[in-house]
Amino acid sequence: MTAPPAAQPASRPASRPAFRLNVRPRFRRRELGLLLVVAAALFAGSVSLGATQRAAAAKLAGDAAPAVTFAPADVAILAAYLGVLFAAHLALVLAGRRTDQILLPTVGLLGGIGLLLMERLPQTLAGSLGGLARTQLVWLVLSFSLITGLAIAVRNDAWLRRYKYTWAAIGVGLLLLAFVFGRDVNGARLSIVIGPLTGQPSELLKVMLVVFLAGYLSENRSLLVEESTRVGPFRLPPLPYLAPMIAMWAMALGIVVVQRDLGAALLFFLVFLLLLYVATARASFVVLGAIAAIIGGAILYSLLGYVQTRVDIWLDPFADPQGAGFQVVQALHAFARGGLIGTGLGAGLPTIGGRPPIPALHTDFPFAALGEELGLVGILAILGLYLVVIERGLRIAASAPDEFRSILAAGLSLVVGVQAFIIAAGNLKIVPLTGITLPFISYGGSSLLVNGLVVGLLIALSDKGAELIPPVPRRGRLGRLSRLVDRGAP
Amino acid sequence: MDPALLVVWILRLLFLGLLYAFLWSVVRVLLRDLRSAAKGPGTDLGRLIVLASPSGEPPVGVVFGLDAVVTLGRDVNNSIVLEDEFVSTTHARLTFRGRAWYVEDAGSTNGTFVNGSRIDAISPLAYGDELQIGQVRLRLDRSRP
Repeated sequence: MTAPPAAQPASRPASRPAFRLNVRPRFRRRELGLLLVVAAALFAGSVSLGATQRAAAAKLAGDAAPAVTFAPADVAILAAYLGVLFAAHLALVLAGRRTDQILLPTVGLLGGIGLLLMERLPQTLAGSLGGLARTQLVWLVLSFSLITGLAIAVRNDAWLRRYKYTWAAIGVGLLLLAFVFGRDVNGARLSIVIGPLTGQPSELLKVMLVVFLAGYLSENRSLLVEESTRVGPFRLPPLPYLAPMIAMWAMALGIVVVQRDLGAALLFFLVFLLLLYVATARASFVVLGAIAAIIGGAILYSLLGYVQTRVDIWLDPFADPQGAGFQVVQALHAFARGGLIGTGLGAGLPTIGGRPPIPALHTDFPFAALGEELGLVGILAILGLYLVVIERGLRIAASAPDEFRSILAAGLSLVVGVQAFIIAAGNLKIVPLTGITLPFISYGGSSLLVNGLVVGLLIALSDKGAELIPPVPRRGRLGRLSRLVDRGAP
Repeated sequence: MDPALLVVWILRLLFLGLLYAFLWSVVRVLLRDLRSAAKGPGTDLGRLIVLASPSGEPPVGVVFGLDAVVTLGRDVNNSIVLEDEFVSTTHARLTFRGRAWYVEDAGSTNGTFVNGSRIDAISPLAYGDELQIGQVRLRLDRSRP
């Protein structure tokens, strides 16, 4: 039999492949370009750290004129980390979704700076997988896998939206678990231990809380804006709809009382107020919330001894520089030594007896360490990176197709940004010091994984939707011939 | 000064410089993104200019900004309404897919013509091409020349 006549354009559907991948690879030029800058920066940082460390080691060994070798501090760690970043980029390209291209390089740079800091600290400080830096690398790899997996796989938010009370309940349940079975670290009952795993549920709770608030606020926004109750100059929404808000306030206070975790309480309450403002655009809620927080804080201050200690240290750390105020004073000295451009990576923080002078440097005070080694210029850049994360989140929120996604995106980025600014301000003695982590820089698995979860969800939420796929063009000789025949046909 | 120390300091400053290079390139991207968002969606896909319209509705010279999907016809529910007796209720459909415009006849009585030849299936429409629907002739142009 002869082939079907060429003048039959109706045979097009049959000529399509039987099955086609419904996504096409989509190049992400901006992301690639930014990742190349990240790679260059981390390489330069690693080489500078390596040269400094080797020179210091040679000086310690008694070499008068040490020959400085220029090579990265730890080639394996640097290569593995950059490899993970580019693998994540490749996976996103292959997935072909039209998602945000800024967030991955930004958190990649933050994670890389944290990794450089961990390489530079005494490796015996923490970590079971062959030292501090290698353990941090493992967690970073897991975190970026989580980001990539969520950014590719999450296409639907119904599972978040529908079960908002379930998520909130799981979060609070985890917190209660920590209340009951928690292990006390430095007087704060933060972590639960399940077999070999320890985790900080308050890290996970912050995501659950944002999901719950996004669901609740997007559903009840119009009711909250309605004014039916008046308290003095303030107009309040109908009282039943205030109940969850009061529950939030009570929960924040409960965390402080039972768990002794000032940082988490402050973070939850700030994010809650900001989201309330995002959803309703009513400044009076924020003012009322702030007043409630101040009243609650004052009561706690008068009742709880350790809150008093924290605030007193903040007001005057030099009252007891060797005891209670030691951490804060050392952090201030670190910033002072850093000056404008810092001492350089690896050159700061002379260790005292093999330990860094600031306790909990790798979890609570990485900002002070970076302030010493990178100076004012460096920490301003780091704060700028967190601002970029917030800007991206708000931008994703502004272009989100519905209110739930909008509030969720704003909340997710704010939870990372606010946390960074709380701990940075604590390190700088702007607010009382609270023991929370600096996202993506601090050492710690819970923090890295949960912040990976947040960024992964943000990238997934930024999906602009599929482009219309162009019709399959009729290419080649036969196609052109068929078109000619078509036109010639009467 | 010790040359090795000098190189170390150059490296340290290079690291800080690269941090700011990253921030600078991110901010550039963000500004471009914000600017294009402020302009509003769909304004840079293209526009249709009326070249000839015997019935006078739309008048000659009118410019239509285009969204990604545009329908043309005599019915008021079309994105572009053409009051011409040779135009069908819903006459033709323009879609922007990938990076190009495509035109498709929506089962009109008198057909849709691209550069004078009648189309029978979905076919690409390049910038500068002339589209004829009934007695109305339109040209697809880029928004910004």
